[in-house]
Amino acid sequence: MSELLHSATAAVEMARKAGAQDAWASLSRDRSVSYTFRDGKIEKVEESTSRGLGISLYVDDRYSTHSTTDLRPDRLQAFIAEAVALTRALQPDPHRKIPDPALFKDRPTTDLERNDPAVARITREQREAWCAEMDTRAHADKRVISAESSLFSGESQGASASSNGFSGTWDGAYVGYSANVTVREGEDKRPEGSASAVGRFLAGLPEPGKIADKALGRALERLGSKKGPTLRATMVVDPEAAVSLISRALGPASAAAIQQGRSYWAGKLGQPLFGDKLTITDDPLIPRGLASRHFDGEGISAKRMPVLERGVVKNLYVDTYYGRKLGMAPTTGSASNRVVALGEHDLAALLAQAGSGIYVTSWLGGNSDSTTGDFSLGLRGHLIENGKIGAPIGEMNVTGNLPALYRSLSAVGNDPYPYSSLRAPTLVFSDVQFSGA
Amino acid sequence: MQPLLTTRRGFVRGTATGAVLLGASGLTGCRRTAAPGIPMIPGEHSSLSDHLGFFSVDEPTIARVMAELTARGADAADLYFQHSRDNSITMEDGIISRASSSVDQGVGLRVVVGDQTGYAFTEDLSLAAMLAAARTAASIAHGGKVVPPVAYSHGQAASYYPLTQPWAEVGVTQKLPRIARLNALARAADPAVEKVTVSWADGEEAVLIVDMHGKIHTDLRPMTRLWCMVTAKKNGVTQANSANLAARQGFDWYTDERLQFVAAEAVKRTMILFEAKRPPAGELPVVLAAGASGILLHEAIGHGMEADFNRKGTSIYASMIGKKVAPDFVTIVDDATQPGERGALNIDDEGNPTEKTILVDHGVMASYLHDSISARHYKHRGTGSGRRESFRHAPLPRMRSTYMENGPHTRDEIIASVKKGIIAETFTNGQVQIGAGDFTFYIKNGWLIEDGKITAPIKDINIIGNGPEALRNVTMVANDTKLDFGGWTCGKDGQSVPVSQGMPTTLVSKMTVGGENV
Repeated sequence: MSELLHSATAAVEMARKAGAQDAWASLSRDRSVSYTFRDGKIEKVEESTSRGLGISLYVDDRYSTHSTTDLRPDRLQAFIAEAVALTRALQPDPHRKIPDPALFKDRPTTDLERNDPAVARITREQREAWCAEMDTRAHADKRVISAESSLFSGESQGASASSNGFSGTWDGAYVGYSANVTVREGEDKRPEGSASAVGRFLAGLPEPGKIADKALGRALERLGSKKGPTLRATMVVDPEAAVSLISRALGPASAAAIQQGRSYWAGKLGQPLFGDKLTITDDPLIPRGLASRHFDGEGISAKRMPVLERGVVKNLYVDTYYGRKLGMAPTTGSASNRVVALGEHDLAALLAQAGSGIYVTSWLGGNSDSTTGDFSLGLRGHLIENGKIGAPIGEMNVTGNLPALYRSLSAVGNDPYPYSSLRAPTLVFSDVQFSGA
Repeated sequence: MQPLLTTRRGFVRGTATGAVLLGASGLTGCRRTAAPGIPMIPGEHSSLSDHLGFFSVDEPTIARVMAELTARGADAADLYFQHSRDNSITMEDGIISRASSSVDQGVGLRVVVGDQTGYAFTEDLSLAAMLAAARTAASIAHGGKVVPPVAYSHGQAASYYPLTQPWAEVGVTQKLPRIARLNALARAADPAVEKVTVSWADGEEAVLIVDMHGKIHTDLRPMTRLWCMVTAKKNGVTQANSANLAARQGFDWYTDERLQFVAAEAVKRTMILFEAKRPPAGELPVVLAAGASGILLHEAIGHGMEADFNRKGTSIYASMIGKKVAPDFVTIVDDATQPGERGALNIDDEGNPTEKTILVDHGVMASYLHDSISARHYKHRGTGSGRRESFRHAPLPRMRSTYMENGPHTRDEIIASVKKGIIAETFTNGQVQIGAGDFTFYIKNGWLIEDGKITAPIKDINIIGNGPEALRNVTMVANDTKLDFGGWTCGKDGQSVPVSQGMPTTLVSKMTVGGENV
């Protein structure tokens, strides 16, 4: 048994001795290193190892959760004893039960390739060399005022144990880099561009210099940006920006949001909610996927789950507690990798088809109402002119209603953004309301 | 609705509900009778050795770690010890559905050479673990050894948030009736109310900061927050909204009047959504209602005045100190000294004294917000603005309570002056791009103004503008400034810190309003 799993089991035992009928404990240990380089020299080096314990308690039909980083045995024992006493002072909740052990069965064993051993072996010299390379490339234009390049990586291990038979361990590594470039425009304006890449395996990433090139290119693209017009037009959303637009739409797709009356997904299971161009699968079993896993936080064995098929709601994110409240079987309470089914064309072809409109490269602020789906978002991007990327625009908003917006989804690209657990391609929407000058 | 106020590098958000703190004990009692194994946090008047002893360290230990930390040279070096206890309780569907507690403890070690920083932290406060972290942090430096101090002294600090009873002494059984009361008030407020969620959070954080000159600074920082979330149903339509109270206050702050206020506010904000529409899309005059509209200052100017962005030349305000940027009646401050406010601070997270900093003085750009690195760079005495999320992070220049002082106009005059525009009243989030100056904030509730009169409620629109332009376009400021009662959390470089914001009723003559032209 690993040391972490041993400690998790011991914590469950402490809780039982203190009077809890059931308990679920998790321990984790993370090491992280980050280097930040700016304008020719190292600006910041951060390096640390962190650990912590989380425990859920079920005491006389009452429930609570606790966490601590003070793991000295005497302190931990007192912490858990106090936590059990606190739980007793709460009120009984008939819906609160420890996850059903039947959900722990058939745990997948496929290799998810979460752990690249090369990540832990990256040397200090290598980190500095990559940062220096990014820094040089990011300064490849005389209008650059300042550029920041970062390299970050980490490794983690964890273990969970429960009083009703669950035990599991995990480990994983990640590595990534980012660059942010500020350029001068006129007297005061200093537009910036950024780019990043992150993955589980070093081998899956582009060379660091390319990320710096991209950041510089994006900063230079902003030069001369103007406020665009107020109009209704076609909106083409870049894959990187599509990640958050889809994430926003999926946000209320949970039993928790529905049970609390704060979801426009309520009553839509089996019904068309979005347009028929959108198909999304939650897939926890993708090798090297950033959110791949064998089980979720409740110990539920991982499986692929269609969420939307051609706009029809196939499954919701249902955890044990809100599932009981709604009378629904648990699926999983938390998203893993979300994969958008791809279309046939790339960005250039989709822009050509659109002819005119607004091409969104990133969002700035904005929000949405999970109960009604109403949204309004700030944006940056370009005009689409004669089927091509035109002049840069900014200081604009797009406003509407998420289900209505996705019903107007007219095309999906073949170009998913690879550095996110949500793999989204270019999206094209027709007749969208923009506010500008 | 996800309350989240993000910016590229700076963001503010109306903190999501949930996990904050609670002392562990379910029983009330005095601080000296806590359970064995859970030591009480030393008070304001405790001795230095009590403060050190709380973290299981003493002067010789600190001296050894500091010597290791500065062994390769340093312009500055510090140890940031922190112990936080947080508690939360949630009532949903009339049942206490969950409670939580957390303890977070550790030390962050920092070496600064010029503008270069080496940083490491450890949750293990043993000498061996601290020495190892010190060696890691020190590796940034390449100079000669610094002579460590021979003795340590305890610095004096202001006291903007004394509590009559620390949170660790308040038992869960005291809190439950207050939570149930708020739930009942919200449910009774309107027959259309279907669901109420009440989320309670309290906690305190003890910090002990040791600098390389032998000064030790301590602070005990309470924080509490109470959310009321409401879902209502009318004619088959569902709407949800919320209100919250946040402050560095204790249990006695939650009077029945305050509970009645937040329940009424949450229900009012929800019920008005049934009638609310989108305004027309495009450029409009925007009246910022007194209070939470300070979000505009936070985004449009506050982040851009944080000195790190200016030292690096990446802020749109980098060359504007001393320049006229707004009309004479505009004075904007960032103030750590407002008693009991969420953004109040006795000392900053580098141990520097705090103050009320004037950012814009009668229309003229006056001062940046400094941490120690930027204060040395600009040869400035400092503003006490070096803040960090926790011992896991190096400090950065950050805001505290940002607001505009009173102006010469009245709210009625301002509204009457607008032919066609909107009033922005409640907000969920905002964001800014430091260099381009573009900023946004999201209006949850507001009003349409037509011919100088309030005519209809509006909802769910984003506003986008440009910082320097918005300042120039401030045409009227009223005499009713106040801080928002709700809590705000600001994010920058992956670190979240609590802040406050405030505003008098203010007219900005033109900003781009999200909306729909049907």
